[in-house]
Amino acid sequence: MKNFHVAIVGAGVIGSSIAWELSKNDLDVVVFEKGSDVCSGTSKANSGVVHSGINSPVSSLKARFCVEGNKMIKPLSDSLGFSLKMIGKFVIAKNEYEAKIINNIKKIGQENGVPDLEIVDENEIKTKEPNISCYQALWVPTAGIISPYEFTIAFAENAAINNVNFLLNTNVKDLKKKDNNFEIKTNRGVFQSNILVNAAGLNCREIVSYLEEPDFNIYPCRGEYLVLDKEYSDLLTSMIYPVPPKELGVLGVHITPTIEGNILLGPSAEYINDSEDKRSTKKMMKTLLKEANEIIPIFPKKAVISAYSGIRCKLASPNEGGWADYRIEESKKTPGLINLLGIESPGLTAAPAIAKEVLRMISKSLKMRPKLNFETRNIRNINISEMSSKKKSDLIKKENRWGRIVCRCENITEAEIHKALNNPLKAQTLSAVKYRCRAGMGRCQGGFCTQHIVRIMEEDFNININEMNLKSANSKLFYGRTREKKND
Amino acid sequence: MTDEKEITCIICPISCKISVKLDGKNFEVTSGSKCIKGVEYARAEALDPKRMLTSSVLVNKGDWPLLSVKSSEPIPKNKLFHVLKEIKDAKIDAPVKLGQTVIKNVANTKINIIATKSIKRI
Amino acid sequence: MINLDIDVAVIGAGPAGLAAAISARENGSKDVLVIDRNSWLGGILPQCIHDGFGVEELGTSLTGPEYSEMYIENAQKLGIDFLAKTMVLELKKNLEIIAINNKGLYKINAKSIVLAMGCREKTRWNVMIPGDRPSGIYTAGVAQGFINLYNIMVGKNVVILGSGDVGLIVARRLKFEGANVLGVVEILPYAGGLPRNVVQCLDDYDIPLYLNHTVTYIKGRERLESVTISQVDENKNPVSGTDKEIKCDTLLLSLGLIPENELSKQIDIELDGLTGGPVVNQSFETTVSGIFACGNCLQVYDTVDILSIGAKHAGKYAAKYASGKNMISNCFVNVIAGKEVRYVIPQMISKPGKILFNLRVENPKNSAVLYIFSGDYEVFKKKLPWAYPSNMIEIEVNITEDIIKSDNDLEVTIDDR
Repeated sequence: MKNFHVAIVGAGVIGSSIAWELSKNDLDVVVFEKGSDVCSGTSKANSGVVHSGINSPVSSLKARFCVEGNKMIKPLSDSLGFSLKMIGKFVIAKNEYEAKIINNIKKIGQENGVPDLEIVDENEIKTKEPNISCYQALWVPTAGIISPYEFTIAFAENAAINNVNFLLNTNVKDLKKKDNNFEIKTNRGVFQSNILVNAAGLNCREIVSYLEEPDFNIYPCRGEYLVLDKEYSDLLTSMIYPVPPKELGVLGVHITPTIEGNILLGPSAEYINDSEDKRSTKKMMKTLLKEANEIIPIFPKKAVISAYSGIRCKLASPNEGGWADYRIEESKKTPGLINLLGIESPGLTAAPAIAKEVLRMISKSLKMRPKLNFETRNIRNINISEMSSKKKSDLIKKENRWGRIVCRCENITEAEIHKALNNPLKAQTLSAVKYRCRAGMGRCQGGFCTQHIVRIMEEDFNININEMNLKSANSKLFYGRTREKKND
Repeated sequence: MTDEKEITCIICPISCKISVKLDGKNFEVTSGSKCIKGVEYARAEALDPKRMLTSSVLVNKGDWPLLSVKSSEPIPKNKLFHVLKEIKDAKIDAPVKLGQTVIKNVANTKINIIATKSIKRI
Repeated sequence: MINLDIDVAVIGAGPAGLAAAISARENGSKDVLVIDRNSWLGGILPQCIHDGFGVEELGTSLTGPEYSEMYIENAQKLGIDFLAKTMVLELKKNLEIIAINNKGLYKINAKSIVLAMGCREKTRWNVMIPGDRPSGIYTAGVAQGFINLYNIMVGKNVVILGSGDVGLIVARRLKFEGANVLGVVEILPYAGGLPRNVVQCLDDYDIPLYLNHTVTYIKGRERLESVTISQVDENKNPVSGTDKEIKCDTLLLSLGLIPENELSKQIDIELDGLTGGPVVNQSFETTVSGIFACGNCLQVYDTVDILSIGAKHAGKYAAKYASGKNMISNCFVNVIAGKEVRYVIPQMISKPGKILFNLRVENPKNSAVLYIFSGDYEVFKKKLPWAYPSNMIEIEVNITEDIIKSDNDLEVTIDDR
């Protein structure tokens, strides 16, 4: 039975960023992830927004970690290589009443330490966003966009090359505290650790309940999104948010450009019972289109190329107003258990700051010795279409797979598919490829590239076609051969 | 013994439902046809229904794993799945030329299965 | 950068590209180059292993691989050059093409260009089917490729949404390979594919065809577990209480095709919102001089036969343009899709003569009259015994100089008889 200094449950953005912080030190760290890749849950399915910190109450943990995280993102992007665009956002007011609300948001933002907030009138908005109709808006220049999976993958892969063990497809089934150690039962064996970090997201209550009676509840709240074709990327250049609805503690349906050049509509907000129920519903698809149309009157009808939904991990029920602060704390009943509870929006932005905080908490009981051979790998993918002609030619000369484009919508080459499948986490599903290099994300939704990715998986990576999965371990793609090769 | 059948005509998109009466080799259209072509189709379909069959055969050492094939002439409908079974069990070594016979007298029908594609050896 | 100077460059080596290239060569172009992103030539045809190709064009029924091999051999005999595994990255108005393959980057200067990029299949999200996002959902063409080219079985218990020909043919193919085809679901009151395919692909094997139905829910968090189908009313809205859950592991989508015109959009070639392809004149020349379009990137054809005939037309005029024999005319008449007509090609005519029109009707009709009017003047009239949206209508009409010079648009309409 292997003994680790720290075991982390969950490889979402929180677990992965903590793993990376810990990997800077000489510690044995293991991460258990039930999905087939990191960033398989809530961390993946959101707006991909770097929040400024205007939306959380003054002196809340949400405000604090959001503002801190926001400042950390740019240097992290430079070193780890995930894409970041500080495109700014408008919170739009449709009338005088809403104008009062955005003034109030501005005040809260300023108190939280968010710089350069500005109220602008309709004409100023029109010069920047000619397709938007509104009365006034709050301009938030320190808001930006990232790709949530690229962000999480950057942390996780960097942690992995610095010897953090990521165990994918691994479910934590039971936990016990024995002497000073945690005994962790999983479907892949039993492990021990001194410290246990509960970053299990929607499953955080289940993890706590193995060790003690939880003093909180989780209220899953589903948010649905629609993804628009890149063809419509000219509709806007910054993010457009409405004033937040009064109930539910959410930000409302907004329109957000993505790093890849698409536009997102969403999310809806709907409390549900089943935290795994990530369906897209007809009702919400219609609602999203209708609300987008109110913000952008010329909104195109046939622009949708994909849809997804994510589940918020809320600590407050709708009756309680839906808003609760994060809980980032060591359990009083079970020393060594560090709980990260209710990490919903702005969790993506807050993640690097939360990771620092968790490191501080762990360093109280474990001695931190900086790792001498700590390595930083910049994961940036530069797409062939963004390179100069000379760069393209040189790259192809060096490695001819750069000349073979297999995803026509996103212009992804065989070289990028290879790099994606060679990831240090050994995640080799179709989704793992998609989230690492964008193949299959475009308007044909994998119609052209799937055959090529499957061919590369089979020929170059020796993956049996019966073991190829879309995402999770049972999401098999195929049912064998049409003609089985018999041994004769 | 007389038998009555309804046949959907495939000559044009109107898709007439042609009712026919069969008595041994006697054939009679009772209703539904709008044209002579339709009657001819219904006769063939009622007395001796046949289908062209296309499928594929496993290839050994080819630049493609499968060879597309077709029947040299239409196959009686009731023999289709016998023929398919033989095709499924067959195997051919590359190279293959388009038009090459892959299976002779498939399922005792006196019909051959022929390659509809050329395959290079690798 | 590898520089190439050629007469006619054809983008796409599917049936349209092959036919256009051959025609350009036969009409006097010396250097004809066909560029394709796949490793093989023939586009979608090698995976269409069923027969029925060439009946109208050649009077004999060939399978897809046979049809394409015939064209490829012919093209190779004529000395046409091919660049396979090559992607066109950029198209420029000055007839320059930037392409890429594993030998490097190419700059191709052409005297004329034929667009033959084909089409792509509509996906689940083009029709917004709600539900989970499991594996086991494929477009019919992708599934056909896996089964027929790559020897990979996509599923065992299959529901097919859409009764176009691809959906019907894949239904039979799956049945032949031992899968259970649980039904073909069609939102319209009639099948989208040819009657022959309805009979020979579905009826022959007792595969149910659910007309006036659609898939309203997809269930399965990992692999597909079931789909719910519901009856629809005349406005295509699901009727409550008609839901039926069908357990299955695979859903194939045959929802129609979208012409591929990403390259056309790069240089602002005008596109027709009704066809999804470029606006062309009688020579299949687009609104960018010297660039021609044919095949499924121009309009989605019913049969490869008619597609090839059209592509040869485009290739011929591309060759003429390349040799400098094109007639530039600033005078043209617009062709408008009028009552009951979904679209017409060409969308403009700049030269008098016998013009081949391709058109589709909006609704199925068992007898109708087709008219072409220039203002009040009846240019053409033809009685049609039937007219179905799924069957493209071709007519040849003599268009005089007077019609082109007149101020009136040419309007094509359909009347019930």
